[in-house]
Amino acid sequence: MRRAIILLLLWGGMELLLSLDKGDHTTSSETLLIFGFLILAAYTVGEIVTLVQLPKVTGYLAAGILFGPSALGVVSLHSIAELAPVSRLAVALIAFLAGAELRWTELRDRAKPLLSMLGAELVLSFAAIIALLVAARAYVPFLTGLPMPETLVLSALFASVAIVHSPAVVMALLTETRARGPVARMTLGMVLVADIVVVLLFSGLLAVTRTAVPSTATAGGPSLGMVAWEIGGSLLVGTALGGAIALYMRFVKRELLLFAIVVTFFGSEIARLAHVEVLLTLLVAGFVVENGTRQGAAELLHAMERSAAPVFVVFFALAGAAIIIRDVLLIWPIALAIVVVRALAIGAGCQVGARLSRAGDMERRYVSMGLVAQAGVAIGLVAVISEAYPERGAQMATLFLAVIAINQLLGPVLSRIALKKSGEIETGTKVQLSSEPSLAPEPPSAT
Amino acid sequence: MSGPLLLILAVAVAYLAAHVAFDWLARRYLIISGAEYLLLGILLGPQIANVLSVEVMASFSPLVTLSLGWVGAIVGTQFHIPSLVRIRALSYRVAFGEATLTLIFVALVELAVMQWWLGMGESEALAPAVALGAIAAVSAPAGIGIVARHLGRRSALLRQLEITTAIDALVGVVTIGLLLALRHPGDMAVSRPITPTEWVVISLAIGIVGGAMFQLFLGGERDEDRLFISLAGAIILTSGAAAFLHLSPIFTAMVMSATLVNMSGNRAEIVRTLHSSERPFYFVLLIFAGASWEPSLLAWVIPVLLYLVARAVAKAGGARLAARVTGTLSALGPHWGRALLGQGPLALALGLEYVRMTNAPVPNVVFTAAIAAVLLLDVSSAWMVHSVVEPMTADADRAPRTAGDAS
Repeated sequence: MRRAIILLLLWGGMELLLSLDKGDHTTSSETLLIFGFLILAAYTVGEIVTLVQLPKVTGYLAAGILFGPSALGVVSLHSIAELAPVSRLAVALIAFLAGAELRWTELRDRAKPLLSMLGAELVLSFAAIIALLVAARAYVPFLTGLPMPETLVLSALFASVAIVHSPAVVMALLTETRARGPVARMTLGMVLVADIVVVLLFSGLLAVTRTAVPSTATAGGPSLGMVAWEIGGSLLVGTALGGAIALYMRFVKRELLLFAIVVTFFGSEIARLAHVEVLLTLLVAGFVVENGTRQGAAELLHAMERSAAPVFVVFFALAGAAIIIRDVLLIWPIALAIVVVRALAIGAGCQVGARLSRAGDMERRYVSMGLVAQAGVAIGLVAVISEAYPERGAQMATLFLAVIAINQLLGPVLSRIALKKSGEIETGTKVQLSSEPSLAPEPPSAT
Repeated sequence: MSGPLLLILAVAVAYLAAHVAFDWLARRYLIISGAEYLLLGILLGPQIANVLSVEVMASFSPLVTLSLGWVGAIVGTQFHIPSLVRIRALSYRVAFGEATLTLIFVALVELAVMQWWLGMGESEALAPAVALGAIAAVSAPAGIGIVARHLGRRSALLRQLEITTAIDALVGVVTIGLLLALRHPGDMAVSRPITPTEWVVISLAIGIVGGAMFQLFLGGERDEDRLFISLAGAIILTSGAAAFLHLSPIFTAMVMSATLVNMSGNRAEIVRTLHSSERPFYFVLLIFAGASWEPSLLAWVIPVLLYLVARAVAKAGGARLAARVTGTLSALGPHWGRALLGQGPLALALGLEYVRMTNAPVPNVVFTAAIAAVLLLDVSSAWMVHSVVEPMTADADRAPRTAGDAS
């Protein structure tokens, strides 16, 4: 409560300052001002929501919605664009930390249930969303007036993005709760592998769609070679980067906070220049560092988590600010239907996959709840569609952002419930108070 | 290759160079690293390689403002009043005497030079002269720490040097803060123009009110990671507010953190958290300072050279005079001012503040002087401290009480 009052006072002070602007100020100082406020605001709301047993991520998102363009308007759309580098840095940090969470021995041991559950839930979600869109095509803005073949193709393209998960939310939750049990690790493994699968599926489908549904845009879709390079190049660049980091950790191992920031910036920048997937590149780099060094990367990861803490807070707050409530309200029935169908399909898919692979009881019951959240890659893929199909792509993006908005708010809550019910975090309050935001990983397991 | 990538590479290379080469040199030959980052910034900047172009520099402007704020916040943590009152007043008289004499002497010399050599009017020359005086007052603390570790002991002279560098920083930052407030462009949408005095009050108010509010915000938080998030938000907000109002981020952040450490019960954790993250910000500042530098024209060589000479004379002479007036010359030695010749990154931060000031006259003269002083003096600052402290420490061993007055 004390922090909330201070925050209100700070907000008042900031509004007073901003009202003094004659319009000739550099935007950089205004952005910095808003950036600082957003950190404190999201941090405060994150603390407040823990009182009602919600994850902090939900609080950060709520702070973004509250202070974003949909409500109080402290954070404008322009500020969101100005702070985009912070989001990019966050994605890179999340990817590296997520990669470092994956251990080869564990992946090998869990490969069968992981692939089985992932395959089943992706296939079921994909098919269910296509079926829903086709059935309700009269109410779906980007499908109205299209013949059936084109409806099918565009629905498939939409579904290929709608099945994606959110490594960011899963990582943030694991960081917050320090859950490291089978449900947590299976969920993390699935969301990471799913990202790769979705990028491949989406790229292939976009190429098919461009043939079936001619576009007015001049930009070409991704060719097979480009897709291959995006994936293969990410593996190559990520391995090289991970190797370099491992060498540094072996021979220098100093100034880890600075090194962590440099690595993240460098990794995302080099991935962008090499036209490879940033998320996958940093994920591979983290994986190589964790599995390619004798003592792992615990110290580097702790330094990364230190620098990631404020970046995470702002990343989710910005994601919240980007949710335009008005747009969601305009198409909420169909958006909600997609959310429900997707969630049910994920649940059913995980059940089927778990039974086929004889996965553990906890994984079968609770992993699906951790797969509901969406963000990151999905938003990027929607942007690609908008570029390829300016008109229908924009309608698709609006619907998709509405779906993401609902999943984004629902996902962290469900994830936390799953971790709690599976016994991987103790009582919520206790863990919240003692663990956040230090996410220092445990030393590598002996397995 | 893109600017940001090259910047990252530059930081990475400079950072490795610092640890592979300069770290060894620092341990063995008391050479302080830091100037290499500045040099790297100059090489990569628009004047030479243009890797860090003007556009790239502009895109990193918020980061520079944040770095300035962070540096100011670190300076502010030194002013914890309950700790300060335990130090004898005599030490402050010596320190303030030296800092003020240096500030006034250099400012007067530069005021005369700018009028005579650059043909500037008195009112126009006053701002750069005062800025140069403020920068001249600042001394590098790094050399003192290295020498203390090298000698493996504390002495009254070393303690006095530590106090003096803190007071030097205070005088320099306050002067620049006041300068920016007093020369405010007044481009705000208000019903009547805000007077310079009111801008000074606003500068102070942002720091003090911000510090008090953040103290309440932090509460009894002791977890360093959580403190880091809150402190980062507080410093970003304070420096952003100052930059938005065309005031000094260093000054407001310094006042904010000084207020914070005096009001908060978890001062030690706050100081530790701020210091644990200071190096990245210093590196950013040094590289950007180097890249922001525009080499001076021939006409500007004289003011810069005279700055170096006037500062050396003021530091040596001012320190000696302050010690003589306060009766501590025998304890501190006649040459103790030589130990204060190193400039340190704070001087560059103040130079950058001046350059970013709206309508600042001859910004490059001021900035060139700061850069020249850092490049020429910082590398050898630990030597200079050593050359002063070692003989005095040996004397103190022979007569343990002679330096007691200064402690």
